[in-house]
Amino acid sequence: MPVVDPAAADGVFSLLWLVIALPALGAAVLLLGGRRTDAWGHLLGVATVAGSFVLSLVAFVGLLGRGADDRAFTQHLYTWIEAGGFRVEASLLYDPLSALFLLLITGVGALIHLYSVGYMAHDPRRRRFFAYLNLFVAAMLVLVLADDYVVLFLGWEGVGLASYLLIGFWQHKPSAAVAAKKAFVVNRVGDLGMALGIMLMFATFGSTAFAEVSRVATEATDGVLTALGLLLLLAACGKSAQVPLQSWLLDAMEGPTPVSALIHAATMVTAGVYLVVRSNFIYENAPVAQTAVVVVGAVTLLWGAVIGCAKDDIKKALAGSTMSQIGYMMLAAGLGVAGYAFAIFHLLTHGFFKANMFLGAGSVMHGMDDDVDMRHYGALQKAMPVTFLTFAMGYLAIIGFPGFSGFWSKDKIIEAGFEDNLVAGLAALLGAGITAFYMTRLMLMTFFGEKRWEKGVHPHESPKVMTVPLIVLAALSVLGGVMLLGDWIVGFLAPVVGEAEHHTPAVPPIVMTLVVVAVVAVGVATAWLLVGRREVPRTAPQRVSVFTRAARADLYGDAINEALFMRPGDRFVGDLVTFDNAGVDGAVNGTAAAFGGMSGRMRRWQNGFVRSYALSVLVGALVVLVAMLAVNLA
Amino acid sequence: MSSAAVLAAEFQAPSFEYSLLSPLLVIFGVAITGVLVEAFAPRGSRYLLQAVLAVLGVVGALVATVIVGLNLVSRGGGTAHGSIAAEGAIAVDGPSIFIWGTVLVLSLVSVLLFAERRLEGGVLSFAGQAAALPGTEAEREASTRGLEHTEVFPLMMFAVGGMMLFPASNDLLTMFVALEVLSLPLYLLCGLARRRRLLSQEAALKYFMLGAFSSGFFIYGIALVYGYAGSMNFAAISAAVSGRAGGEGLLLGGIALLAVGMMFKVGAAPFHAWTPDVYQGAPTAVTAFMAACTKVAAFGALLRLFYVAFGGARWDWTPMVWVIAILTMVVGSVLALSQTDVKRMLAYSSIAHAGFLLTGFVGAQQVADVGIGEITSLQAVLFYLVTYGFTTVAAFAVVTVVRDAGGEATHLSRWSGLGKESPVVAGVFAVLLLGMAGIPLTSGFTGKWAVFTTALAGGAWPLVVTAVLFSVVAAFFYVRVIVLMYFSDPVGEGPTVATPSILTTIVIAVGFAATLALGVVPGPVLDLAAAAGEFIR
Amino acid sequence: MPLWWPLLLSSLLFAIGVYGVLVRRNAVLVLMGVELMLNAVNLNLVAFDAYFRDVLHGGQTFALFVIVIAAAEIGLGLAIVLLVFRTHGQIDVDTMRELADREEPAVAER
Repeated sequence: MPVVDPAAADGVFSLLWLVIALPALGAAVLLLGGRRTDAWGHLLGVATVAGSFVLSLVAFVGLLGRGADDRAFTQHLYTWIEAGGFRVEASLLYDPLSALFLLLITGVGALIHLYSVGYMAHDPRRRRFFAYLNLFVAAMLVLVLADDYVVLFLGWEGVGLASYLLIGFWQHKPSAAVAAKKAFVVNRVGDLGMALGIMLMFATFGSTAFAEVSRVATEATDGVLTALGLLLLLAACGKSAQVPLQSWLLDAMEGPTPVSALIHAATMVTAGVYLVVRSNFIYENAPVAQTAVVVVGAVTLLWGAVIGCAKDDIKKALAGSTMSQIGYMMLAAGLGVAGYAFAIFHLLTHGFFKANMFLGAGSVMHGMDDDVDMRHYGALQKAMPVTFLTFAMGYLAIIGFPGFSGFWSKDKIIEAGFEDNLVAGLAALLGAGITAFYMTRLMLMTFFGEKRWEKGVHPHESPKVMTVPLIVLAALSVLGGVMLLGDWIVGFLAPVVGEAEHHTPAVPPIVMTLVVVAVVAVGVATAWLLVGRREVPRTAPQRVSVFTRAARADLYGDAINEALFMRPGDRFVGDLVTFDNAGVDGAVNGTAAAFGGMSGRMRRWQNGFVRSYALSVLVGALVVLVAMLAVNLA
Repeated sequence: MSSAAVLAAEFQAPSFEYSLLSPLLVIFGVAITGVLVEAFAPRGSRYLLQAVLAVLGVVGALVATVIVGLNLVSRGGGTAHGSIAAEGAIAVDGPSIFIWGTVLVLSLVSVLLFAERRLEGGVLSFAGQAAALPGTEAEREASTRGLEHTEVFPLMMFAVGGMMLFPASNDLLTMFVALEVLSLPLYLLCGLARRRRLLSQEAALKYFMLGAFSSGFFIYGIALVYGYAGSMNFAAISAAVSGRAGGEGLLLGGIALLAVGMMFKVGAAPFHAWTPDVYQGAPTAVTAFMAACTKVAAFGALLRLFYVAFGGARWDWTPMVWVIAILTMVVGSVLALSQTDVKRMLAYSSIAHAGFLLTGFVGAQQVADVGIGEITSLQAVLFYLVTYGFTTVAAFAVVTVVRDAGGEATHLSRWSGLGKESPVVAGVFAVLLLGMAGIPLTSGFTGKWAVFTTALAGGAWPLVVTAVLFSVVAAFFYVRVIVLMYFSDPVGEGPTVATPSILTTIVIAVGFAATLALGVVPGPVLDLAAAAGEFIR
Repeated sequence: MPLWWPLLLSSLLFAIGVYGVLVRRNAVLVLMGVELMLNAVNLNLVAFDAYFRDVLHGGQTFALFVIVIAAAEIGLGLAIVLLVFRTHGQIDVDTMRELADREEPAVAER
């Protein structure tokens, strides 16, 4: 297990701070500049992130020029907290893992900024939107460049803050404010895990720096390491919308679509995966916590996929899919050394194709007067050819069509899953099938079939400023797989996460691949049979009747099939969604209500009677007195 | 003290270290001069004279504190330095100097808040004629003549003097006198609001009655401890406690009752009941002063009393403080959730902060336990007090500028949509709230970090878990206000933000800057707290 | 005289003072209760002083201080009570409940 041991940054790496400073400066100028910056604010927003991307690219090239053991650098900014022996250095750590994240965040970030110039063109608060986006990018960069858990926590809270601001950006919609609040509440639970984890780390190791903790991690007891792993997992679940803290992500779709693409698909929600991979030195010593990560990942990938099947709102369907794909990454991260690199690999390809599809969805909404109901779409491939083609690339990537980026990354995770244990492998395989199903359904309902448009809607292709990012992201979705050529990414990340010993798998990889492709094909075919071959009702009918109609239309479909397969399956989907809404939200709301109720009850003591206050002082005094005497003299 | 030695010695005039005690003397001098000004200066010139005198006095005392602080001598070889002055009554040591500095700087900004006149249309926000009934001829006359109670300045100076003496006192008698000197002027100041006079007087009465009630317990505790140790001096008490020669009951009872008095002052549950009512009713400037400075002074005294005098009985009082700390955090954070008045909410927030501070205090990590260079509980608590003080003063200062026709608009519903009305004020308040919630890069985070880690290092991990849990709960009500300001539409005609004079602006700016600075570069102040070293004995 | 006699007496007086504070609704009588508490402690202090034969007479000195401070406190307290009487028209402490956490949020605007 590798120890984090960076060298001091020099040369091009000494510009690292600038990568964060640029978007931070952008945010500051846009927020403080006020209306004066309205005219050119969005351009500044794009420019700062693009600048960061160029710097990241230069640094990345510089990194490639170094030997494999010489690829970690630290740039010391200043001593943030110094209290005697306890120090938190505000330092940046640049190593292969951060390098990839930097490229993803600034690269995809710059494209999404560019896209937003068009998407938000008619919003009077566009400048503010760009300020928040820049703020988010800066915080996210702090998160991945931190070399200390406390600094990471700073970024962690920062992205959270930016996320709430952006979810609630359209504050005139009450649902947006509610969604922002929910995201906040759920994330606090995760942050609680993070805070406690950091505290425990400090108490155990006397430091919170990656370098120090990774050096002495093995010295702690199993119990402490397991607790640390579980606390960090709790944090990761909150941020990455993993079961049981997943409910906020669907509601977060209330934010503007570029936000959903950048924050709630490509970058922020993957921070949990980053945390687990970054903390590999803890998880490697805590097998119980690792198993928990696998379980969370497996459950979430199915959970999210099933939710994706049931949504008619295009963004929510995609959000369910995001949840599910992050579940894949979590599962891979939980597999340990065998999986870390693939988790990151899938994270990157997912960043490309999911950002692509969200932006595509945004483009569709842009053409459809902000309607998100797929039942009102249909036959858009003619009206919006560029959007359709780019979306199709993303679609082929996510379902794992051979040759596309998602194919390589998902295949690797399923393989690694099977090598670890059968259940994880089967879950991942099943997930791939369901993914194929719901993505095909989404594709069919949106771009094919009959026009089901609302009156007065005239779909049109989006402007260049929006389609160019789509094209770039589509290209990346297709080509992302090159990172796996010659196992490049595995070797590249090895200094950070270690490298698994190579051994021949029980099932030949090619057989595995064929099985995966077959399952995907079944998923696509099912969707075709259920959705593609019939007319989609413009309003969501009672679900059972949808399937009844589908069964009628289907020559081979019959009542037995419906009763045995469709109905229970459908009910399962419905129940899961209900449980998701009632059960998990109920738990969150219930906790809030419990505190509220407690507050209400305790208020009664504060009744305004000065004599009753005096009585509470007296009772307190007596209790203290008696307790002191009883405890110490007994 | 041996009686024979005293009898044998010839009478000697008590020595009094004027230079060491100069900060105290300056403040009390200014307070007395203020009374004389009130008696002899013409009414028209009093405001300016009093305000300038108070500012100069506090600045002078601050300068004196710095000079005294730089010249402290090392004592006992350890990190402790300073001397015992005034025949053993006052300890001028590192922590005293640190607390004096903190109290004086916070008082300086509070004086500016007291002196604000523009918000009330050219008069102080204190009652023009406290004795006049609202709505009577006398009241109208007072307001047309622009009468002002400029006595608030000397009253405040007396309170500041008490606040400085309280944590520096080295025997129980001085401590009791200091407690009363700091409390009595505050009781009066609470009742002097210009607007909502009845609420203000109710607050004064409640504060006074409960304060007097609790000081009864406090001196009962003193009597019992005196009965146990035979002396009021902390060093002698400490020796007796370490010796432990019978009479346990007296000592334990004394500790318990002294704790009651102290916990009342810091606003810890279940002795907190006065806090929300008084913070709400008192004039906001007084609330700001009281919330920040009293808490600093009272925690300083609490630390000295329990670490120096009762340090040897640490294992006896630790469980008690654990329970009080947990209760305080629960009460503060949970009750704040359902508040609808911003001043009450801040009051409960200050109760929760008292709980967090107690967490650091009970960590009781002392010099003997820490490794080279680690910080002690004392230093962590001192740092937290600084962060808390600045944020609190600024938050209450913001409350003074959000107004409607009836004066300050303290009901939270009036704050909705403030983000649109005044982005700057809302933004500043949001940062202050985030600071109190302990979001990284604000002072609150560093402060919480400091106290929680020392508590952990002192082995109080269940307490730290509770504290972290309730700081999460506490974050809700802070963020609720932020959401209200930014994501809600104004109700009715909405709040207005009055433009204050430069005085209040300075207060808000200083508190805001400190909240950010202590989050981003806490180093210098942490160093100062570390340099304060330990209490001398 | 055994030490516990005055101690017992003083604790009884203290308890009576506390009782007075808790049950009296008239603010002046509440103040009397507080006064009784403080003076009960004086008895304690003097008793300990005599018991220790304290050369510095710390206890007795303290008792003097307490008397002075109690006088100041009562002076101030009566001033506040007087003020309250002028504005509220009575001094029943139980009627002063404008400041409280209420069931329904209703803050008096005046």
